[in-house]
Amino acid sequence: MTIFLASVGFGLLTAAVLAIAAVGFTLQFAVTNVLNLAFAAIMTAGAFTAYGINQLGVSVWVGLPVAMVACAALSVALNLLVYAPFQRRGSAPITIVIVSLGMALIIEFGTQAVVGGISVSYKMSQGHTYKLGGLVLTTVQLAIIAISVVVMVAAYLTLRYTKLGKSMRATSANRQLARNCGIRTGRVITTTWALTGALGGLAGTVYAIDIGSFGPTSTDLFVVLILAAVFLGGPGHAYGAMLGALLIGVATEVSAAYIVPSYKYVIAFVVLLAMLAVRPTGLLGART
Amino acid sequence: MTYLITLLVYAAVDAIACLGLSLQFGVAGVTNFGFIIFQAAGAYIAAILALPPQSANGAFQHYIGGWNLPFPLPWLGAAAAGAILALPFTFLVGRRLRGDFAAVGLLVTAVLLNLLVMNYVPLFNGDAGVAIVPAPLQSQVMTTTTTGYQWGFAIGVVVLLAAVFWLVRRLTESPFGRSLRAMRDNDKIADSLGKNLLQLRTGMLVLGGAIAGLSGGVLVSFISVWSPAAWTYAETIVLFAAVIIGGRGNHVGAVLGAIIVPVGFEESTRLITNANPSLPPNLLPSLQWVAIGLLIALFLWFRPQGVLPERKRVMAVPEPAAGAAADGPLLVRQRTPPSGSPAERDTILQAIDVSRDFGGVRAVSGVSLSVARGTMTGLIGPNGAGKSTLLAVLAGTDRASSGTVRYEGQDVTGLPAYRRARLGLVRTFQLASEFKRLTVMENLLSAAPGNRGDTMRGALAGRRYWRNDEQATVGRAADILHRFGLADLANSYAGDLSGGQRRLVEIMRALMTDPAMLLLDEPMAGVHPELAHRIGEMLTQLSRDGLTVLMVEHELAIMDEFCDPVIVMADGSVLAQGTMAQLRERAEVVEAYLVG
Amino acid sequence: MLAEGRAGNSVMTFRRSGRWLAAIGAVALAATLAACGSSSSSGGVPSGQSIVFADVAPFSGPDAALGPTYLVSCDGTTAAINKAGGVLGHKVSCTTADTRGDPADAIPAVGSLLARTHNLELVIGCTSDEAAAVAPVINSHKTVMFCMTGQSEFDHKHFDYFYRLVPPDLAESYAMTVIAQQLGYKKIALAFGNDIGSQTFVQPAESAIAKAGMTVVANETLDLNATTFRTEAEKIVQAHPDAIMTEALGSADATLFSEIKQLNGGQVIPIIGTSAAISPAFFTSAAAAVGASDFANNFHADNLVTATSGPAYQAFTQSLLAVKGKVSGAQTGDFSTYFTAPGAVHLYDGMNLAALSMIAAGSTDVAKWKPFLTSIGDGVPGAVTVNSFAQGVAELKAGKKIRYVGPGGPTSFDSFHDSPGIFQVDTYTAAGAVTVSGNISAAQLRAVSG
Repeated sequence: MTIFLASVGFGLLTAAVLAIAAVGFTLQFAVTNVLNLAFAAIMTAGAFTAYGINQLGVSVWVGLPVAMVACAALSVALNLLVYAPFQRRGSAPITIVIVSLGMALIIEFGTQAVVGGISVSYKMSQGHTYKLGGLVLTTVQLAIIAISVVVMVAAYLTLRYTKLGKSMRATSANRQLARNCGIRTGRVITTTWALTGALGGLAGTVYAIDIGSFGPTSTDLFVVLILAAVFLGGPGHAYGAMLGALLIGVATEVSAAYIVPSYKYVIAFVVLLAMLAVRPTGLLGART
Repeated sequence: MTYLITLLVYAAVDAIACLGLSLQFGVAGVTNFGFIIFQAAGAYIAAILALPPQSANGAFQHYIGGWNLPFPLPWLGAAAAGAILALPFTFLVGRRLRGDFAAVGLLVTAVLLNLLVMNYVPLFNGDAGVAIVPAPLQSQVMTTTTTGYQWGFAIGVVVLLAAVFWLVRRLTESPFGRSLRAMRDNDKIADSLGKNLLQLRTGMLVLGGAIAGLSGGVLVSFISVWSPAAWTYAETIVLFAAVIIGGRGNHVGAVLGAIIVPVGFEESTRLITNANPSLPPNLLPSLQWVAIGLLIALFLWFRPQGVLPERKRVMAVPEPAAGAAADGPLLVRQRTPPSGSPAERDTILQAIDVSRDFGGVRAVSGVSLSVARGTMTGLIGPNGAGKSTLLAVLAGTDRASSGTVRYEGQDVTGLPAYRRARLGLVRTFQLASEFKRLTVMENLLSAAPGNRGDTMRGALAGRRYWRNDEQATVGRAADILHRFGLADLANSYAGDLSGGQRRLVEIMRALMTDPAMLLLDEPMAGVHPELAHRIGEMLTQLSRDGLTVLMVEHELAIMDEFCDPVIVMADGSVLAQGTMAQLRERAEVVEAYLVG
Repeated sequence: MLAEGRAGNSVMTFRRSGRWLAAIGAVALAATLAACGSSSSSGGVPSGQSIVFADVAPFSGPDAALGPTYLVSCDGTTAAINKAGGVLGHKVSCTTADTRGDPADAIPAVGSLLARTHNLELVIGCTSDEAAAVAPVINSHKTVMFCMTGQSEFDHKHFDYFYRLVPPDLAESYAMTVIAQQLGYKKIALAFGNDIGSQTFVQPAESAIAKAGMTVVANETLDLNATTFRTEAEKIVQAHPDAIMTEALGSADATLFSEIKQLNGGQVIPIIGTSAAISPAFFTSAAAAVGASDFANNFHADNLVTATSGPAYQAFTQSLLAVKGKVSGAQTGDFSTYFTAPGAVHLYDGMNLAALSMIAAGSTDVAKWKPFLTSIGDGVPGAVTVNSFAQGVAELKAGKKIRYVGPGGPTSFDSFHDSPGIFQVDTYTAAGAVTVSGNISAAQLRAVSG
């Protein structure tokens, strides 16, 4: 029983990190219609920005907002220089996905060219370890979960109550119609890239904190988890992404307790393929 | 010398793989981000077929199989493995899934399978992979390291490449290839013209998988080892870069891409590293990936067709035979012209209480109508009335949320569009929907049913097999082109035409399907009034010969002249039905137009 | 109607220019390269030209630390050789070939190396990542290689030009078990990476542990692609082992150690590593993960006996120190760790053996000098023991027969050119310097081997 509870705890942690990334990814897709496979690379860039700041002697918790700003800027630039021109030209979605793969290569291996192939860690303390029932979590890990909850609530409030949120929802539902209703879709899109880029930077730094030792290619496998969470909940649905992240995060860690842990990601893959086969709109998406 | 042979073999293997990818991606538009796993499957199966049982060689490897089969069985097995592996994934390429989602699914599969193979050691020896794989004819030749054997191997592989090239070319230069390219250019339209997308894409996954598998089998026979490190998902990106740069849809371009990217790029990186030993060793491989990403983006922007673009298929347009009536029958399907007045003719198409919902919006609400055979029925209404949606539901490109659609007495509500098209119920589209990178002539030919060369088997059987069908179809197409006055544009890319001309291509193409009933969505939009009139007359004549037409139009003059009855829709339901004159009298119709 | 039968035939313009030009270009390029390279030293190196030693190893990918480690050794060794007069009047230089850690990339890397390198006399490196693929190729090129792979397939496979100064992985597993015995551990947890090099330790370790009367209480395989191992760590902690035997390269071990520490209430469980853990990069990442002194106090690894003092060791450290800071990619951490890194030590010995063999044979023709590898390595009756290249040259000039014993200890080649060596127990200080804390005798190894 203890291992089960402990793995639920680990699962919550994975889910927390995953949720931030998945919500960012899915909102990006919803509003801009771009399946941005470079998202994981942007996470990496964020993690290494925080690392650079950390190497100068500054706490990683200060580096975190810096990483968010950097990634917001990077994402906006990416859209401005790459994705938007292709979309204006009327390129097929698949072309833009291939381009996003190319961007992923550039960002990830550009980082590796600068940093080298070695693994690095943040200089930070993990804090006290708490045993809560059967869960075993450190201060830092609890902080990560807390950050994730804050992000989820902020996302909910933004989408539901603010003008920006409503504009985002309208633009994602029907861009043309939104424009006709007077919504400045161009501005909404740029803002979305900035916000979701910031989420990516946050997710990347938090991910790096979580795994301890990371390198430029550490997010390669993580992007699959993001996709699994996104498609489980329904691509484009923020709440779906949250739900998906929770399910995937907990399922992978709990399954690791009972099967050979090397296979724990298999669950995520199988879920993703099953969703694509049976219900591509996801659990929370509308049936077409 | 060994290096030269190594390069040659690697180039040939990559070229074979790129041909498979070019076929899938360049010709058929199937984006298979998991391509590398098919090559890996071929390599592993060739290895375990050729290897002795795992107890041999000191039993330090664990793998399934190990039957020590002689050449060429391992290579045949490799191709079969690639083909069979494709089958479970065909669900990803059906009609339901967006192309980019399907691609992501295949990408994820590649990562998943790499993980499984790496961790499940009894299968293929896990991360260590399989080693000491016997080379072809090893037991006969004894030493495979002689220059003679190496050259023999290399030349054999080049011959194999030529064979694959011939095969792929044969498939592409056929009516089947044309259907593939049509599907690539616009899959929704191809579907509505009778192409079974799932079947076509499955075929491409399987065939491309077989070719990839073969390339894997050859490679493992040459290097005698294979491990998960050799087939990470990033290898697929390299091949995609090769095909994009070399020229997709052009098979020579695929070979060229294979020489430039996996071989040329990698080797030149090596040369630069060797010339500059003081550089940090990790730098160049990282920059190589950056360069690949950059090249992909740059090529897709500046030269998406690649270095060697897809060739235009130019065809001679036969002149109309002397003496053929300029107004003779366009349709081949024999129909008895219906008798009696419109009111007495039998119903060909019926909608019973059909509704269509999108999220919370009801686009079509409880529509019931009947269309009599041989009539030209008009469908009018203000913007947003649901006319196009109704057409889509009748044609099958959209699914009814409730209600029934009956065609020729048969309940077709559940039938997909391509099946209804094959039964003779064909629609055109409101927005531009020509196959952009097919010529006008090819656009027309692609729609013609019943061409023997339009199946994979028929294409493989060769030109002689389908030549006659093709000639007949070309004749019909030429006929239609002449009547519509577009014969001199026959060999232009349909994407290069003006708006009005593209409209005509659509109508001509719809006629080529040999329909019993046409659902036209604003066919005259952007067309010169005189030409529009002529088209109307042509359609009238066809309807006299048995063709039924249901036409959405805004141009009320056309309705006046050609259509009887005319149905008015507003807010998703049918408002009224009758001749234009009758409708003009009805207050609610006038109001709907002014207000709606 | 139909025109003259041409209808339906698409115009085929066979793109002869594109295809053939590209093919001709590739062939021409490769032929030029092939012409440039010569086959290995048959007939020897022309006077005035340099002899080349090649480092064939991963310089990128997960095992990227290995190539530069061997390069440090190569640069240091060749610099010392040149300082002592070179080989028969030839200077020696080093070149590299990056195998990228996978066999499909390793083959062209080696092919390119063999084609473009004049006067290639020796290959060093060839790790488990690529040895199975490249050893046959280098062997048929008749080039001597000193490889770093512990894979069992080389225990009994005959490659004429293949030489190995490191033990098979089997032996390391036995050594680790003896270490556990010596430290009084009874319950052992195994945590090995799922990659080629690491998985071969598991089975021999299990049988050795059983034979030694200890028990395996947990056996976790670590997927090197994964980035956390919390569940594996939790399973290990709950099994309450006395020690953990591990090899999981890249960042995996470091991550595992920190997670075990967290889940074990802040306590590090004693760790027994393999010789691969003796590297500056490993210490740096492990120390960062659990704290330098915590790690140092709880870590032992098996390693081949390498001298830490004496004339051989002096010569060796001096050679390497002479190139400190000059080898790109090899600047992480404490340089002195290279003095015990197996790749650095044993390849230094291999290179010296080769150089001395050429001088003893009076020729750079591999057919002539190869037999001297065994006679100088194993020694012949009446041979003088020498501990460095310079010393060996001097004795050969004086007409003596020599036996070379370097920092890696005395060699004893079996019929497959494997020289397993004897083991010692290494630990780290909190500053990252390696110290020898004990020895393992051949008898102790035999007692646990299967």
